[in-house]
Amino acid sequence: MKILIFLIFLQIPEQKDRRCLICHGKKDFGIVEEGRFKSLFVDYKELKNSVHRKFTCVQCHNDVRVIPHLKKPKKIHCLDCHFEGNVVGAPVDVRPEKYKESIHAKAKKEGKNSPDCYDCHGIHDVRSHEDTLSFIYRRNIPKTCGRCHKKELEEYVISIHYKAIKKGILEAAVCNDCHREHDVLPPEDPRSSLNPRNVVRTCEKCHGNPEIMKKTGVSVKQVEAFKESFHGIALEFGVLKAANCASCHDYHKVLPSTDPDSPIHPKNLAKTCGKCHPNANENVAKGKVHVIPHERDAGIVYYVYNFFKIFTIVVIAGLIVHIILDLFGQYRRKKYGSEE
Amino acid sequence: MSKKILRFSRIWRVQHMLLMISVVLLIISGFSLKYSHTTLGKILIFLEGGFEARGSLHRLSAFLLIFTTLFHLFYIIFTKEGREEFKALVIRKKDLSDFVKMIMYDLGKAKERPQFDRYSYKEKFQYWVISFFILIMIFSGIILMFHNYFFGVIPKWLIDLSFSFHSWTATLVIIFLVLWHFYIVHLSPENFPWNSSFWDGYVDEEWLKENHYLEYKRIKEK
Repeated sequence: MKILIFLIFLQIPEQKDRRCLICHGKKDFGIVEEGRFKSLFVDYKELKNSVHRKFTCVQCHNDVRVIPHLKKPKKIHCLDCHFEGNVVGAPVDVRPEKYKESIHAKAKKEGKNSPDCYDCHGIHDVRSHEDTLSFIYRRNIPKTCGRCHKKELEEYVISIHYKAIKKGILEAAVCNDCHREHDVLPPEDPRSSLNPRNVVRTCEKCHGNPEIMKKTGVSVKQVEAFKESFHGIALEFGVLKAANCASCHDYHKVLPSTDPDSPIHPKNLAKTCGKCHPNANENVAKGKVHVIPHERDAGIVYYVYNFFKIFTIVVIAGLIVHIILDLFGQYRRKKYGSEE
Repeated sequence: MSKKILRFSRIWRVQHMLLMISVVLLIISGFSLKYSHTTLGKILIFLEGGFEARGSLHRLSAFLLIFTTLFHLFYIIFTKEGREEFKALVIRKKDLSDFVKMIMYDLGKAKERPQFDRYSYKEKFQYWVISFFILIMIFSGIILMFHNYFFGVIPKWLIDLSFSFHSWTATLVIIFLVLWHFYIVHLSPENFPWNSSFWDGYVDEEWLKENHYLEYKRIKEK
């Protein structure tokens, strides 16, 4: 009986890991590698607070058979478990294997300083994206990416998106909403969410969603209006020189039109439109952008639209009545003969 | 076979031909943009050689239409034949009464049809409506074609307005062509399947007597 209790006791992960922590639990534990001290300390509390809390050390470091181990264990990679069809139940719903296609993976292969999974997710302290302490909690993502992308972070923190995040509207865009999380690709790549061909769809994910836009007070109609505009149609047909959302709204530093620094502030519109339409001046600010003719706020265009709508119906009806009357007359002529 | 009478001069027929070609091209290239979200629109844009080629085709046909319009203005101002044709196209009081009489006849209230001269009220109406529409299309079209220039000249809402006018007037042109022009020259029993005078200028003497009695009488009196 005592042996059985001992065996059950041994199944508790903490007990299994105890042997590892004899060394790795010491704060100053480490080795000298290539002339530099390398800490081999593992903050066990971090692991216990992570999503991997149920696993023991050797379940991941599975080439460690004898403790203490004499050889340096193999490097382990997240994708060793997180692949489609794995049997240990590692979640793959955000398609982590897409990382391999990303610019990050490509740069890493070329030997550049580029992030691997653990750079964003943490090593032993991998927390769920719902955990407010996680590196990938929505509010923390800008800081996580900004560790390397400093200039972009500086611009982003000024943006209305980050202001909304700070206000607690967590649906506001953070880095990965536009850049995607695993398959981060440069805009030149046609598969990229930021390729001019795909920008509208990327912004539309949120800006076409009434539930999110209700919280921010931005109209969902903007995307619809853009798609119906000449720019939108041209883009749809692959004319990539046509303006997309980011051409006028900027991307990291997105600001509302009320902000004097915004490229879409009425005072700056001439310059913004002037990037493509060199003759643009203050006249471009006189009127509405993203016009939907059948919406009242389109101003005079709305009234012209409605006039034509009614007028066209009247014309169709009138012309059809005329044809019917004429056919009556033709019939009478056939029946009674010509009056000559 | 009944005798043929020349009704339209060659220069008149050439103008009609130019108008027909440019308007048909404009309609095809214009409506493939307006309905670019539909399958038909996508097929048309493909056939036109892509989105940008569609635009070039539209502008090219627009220049043809503008040329035709200027040609026509020249014709009705500086040629004797043109001035006479124009005079025959001016709307007079008789056209209004003809219209009322014709409706009465169609409804069975009058025994006789009104007698028409060279152009009946139907043809005059057609001429003036299409002329008016073409003027709207040309003016709004020029604003859209040269929007890069007009951006610095007129407020943006006027450009939006031009777009609205251009699109709606185009719709009206099609409706008018189908329900009025096609009806009176193709589908109406007196002309079915078509009135070939747009091609060779000749009409049957019988037809002229039936439909333009006053003109027929004048020709006979000469």
